[in-house]
Amino acid sequence: MDYSGKEKEAMAIMAEADKKMKTSHSLFGSFLGSSSKVEEACDLYVRAANMFKMAKNWSAAGDAFCKAAQLHLQVQSKHDAAVNFLDAGNAFKKADPEEAINCFCQAIDIYTGMGRFNIAAKHHISIAEIYESELLDIDKAVAHYEHAADYYKGEESTSAANKCLLKVATYAAQMEQYQKATEIFEQIGTYSMDTTLLKYGAKDHFFKAALCHFCVDMLNCKLAVQKYEEMFPAFSDARECKLLKKLIDAHEEQNIDAYADAVREFDSITRLDQWQTTMLLRIKKTIQDEENDLR
Amino acid sequence: MSSDFETYELDFGTLTADITNKIGRIPKLAGEEKTQLVLNVDKQLEEVRELLEQMDLEVREIPIQSRGMYSSRLKSYKQEMEKLEKDFKRSRIAYSDEVRNELLGDDASSSESQRAHLLDNTERLERSSRRLEAGYQIAVETEQVGQEILTNLHSDREKIQRSRDRLRETDANLGKSSRILTSMLRRDTSWTLRCSSLRLC
Repeated sequence: MDYSGKEKEAMAIMAEADKKMKTSHSLFGSFLGSSSKVEEACDLYVRAANMFKMAKNWSAAGDAFCKAAQLHLQVQSKHDAAVNFLDAGNAFKKADPEEAINCFCQAIDIYTGMGRFNIAAKHHISIAEIYESELLDIDKAVAHYEHAADYYKGEESTSAANKCLLKVATYAAQMEQYQKATEIFEQIGTYSMDTTLLKYGAKDHFFKAALCHFCVDMLNCKLAVQKYEEMFPAFSDARECKLLKKLIDAHEEQNIDAYADAVREFDSITRLDQWQTTMLLRIKKTIQDEENDLR
Repeated sequence: MSSDFETYELDFGTLTADITNKIGRIPKLAGEEKTQLVLNVDKQLEEVRELLEQMDLEVREIPIQSRGMYSSRLKSYKQEMEKLEKDFKRSRIAYSDEVRNELLGDDASSSESQRAHLLDNTERLERSSRRLEAGYQIAVETEQVGQEILTNLHSDREKIQRSRDRLRETDANLGKSSRILTSMLRRDTSWTLRCSSLRLC
């Protein structure tokens, strides 16, 4: 495909659309005529934006979509405006993340105004992902995930809400907000153990909650593990529970080797992922610190 | 009478013990010795048979009241003798360990082969335990994959339920709108009819 040709075509169409906009403003007397002119201009903008997309000129495409969205807002067709803002956001994602976030935010405002919280939540998640990957601003990402989870909860989509909350809790634990993380993990764990579909994942959530407890205080962890065993008998059969008990014992005896052995044994069967390794390392450091203090 | 029977019993006992002994030795021997022993055992079995016949005659002479015990004992002796004969036949065609050793090599190398055997077994055991561990790992991974799939299914379930509810709402709304449109159409046609009738008048 001849991309540069497409781009020139796109620019031509943009110019035409701009001209239409100017003429429609001057003809403010014939308001019927101006509305159709506005719609035509919108169509032209959208066509131009698609051509820019074909030519891989993402920022120009985003701009064109934004202009179309603004026009739609002027004629009060909110749906179309929101859709165009979304297209703009997606186009900007590849070029300019900040602009993308702006567009997404505007779209979310429109959707929440209309009461479509599910879609708004979905786009909060998109924004949070951009913050995670491109802009690396974990705080804002967590905030957006929380928004998304709240909206989903409001719309009774508990599983989607749980997905967002999991991410929130993972980041919270990484940033040492253990209280928040434990609460969320426990909540999700208790919810999962009741549903037939999700009960096999419940032990994973309890394990994560217990790890967060452990980072705070070993006694907390012991009590928590007992509590989880009472609530959910299947948890005591899980290998994770056995590992936790071994770690608690090693911590009580201040025995780093036993700790490392238990972790290695668990790792040989199922690899520990990044988050779990970080948590366990932090707990291990607390053992070492206590040893040094005793000396 | 019964004392004769008892002497016969003792003889029977010694003979059967001897025969059992010889039957045990027959498979180990070969050639001349074997045939000798076989003839020996044959002769002893003949003696045992004659003894049993004697015992039978004795038992018949005892009065019927006290015959019961003796006849049952005699029956058990006869069964023992049949068993001995069977064993004897089997022993004549039995293979013995000696022959096997001769074929597979003599005693000097057996300790070496034993050690190699044991090492081989240990290695086989280790291989099996490694395979079992790998199998366990795969089972755990499968469980994790299954868990993820179940979570996805759960969220899909919610989405489908929501879409279905929305669809039902839309359907109801469409029905309402079509009813409104038909009523509008009816009103419009009645209005035009009235207008045209007025104009005619």
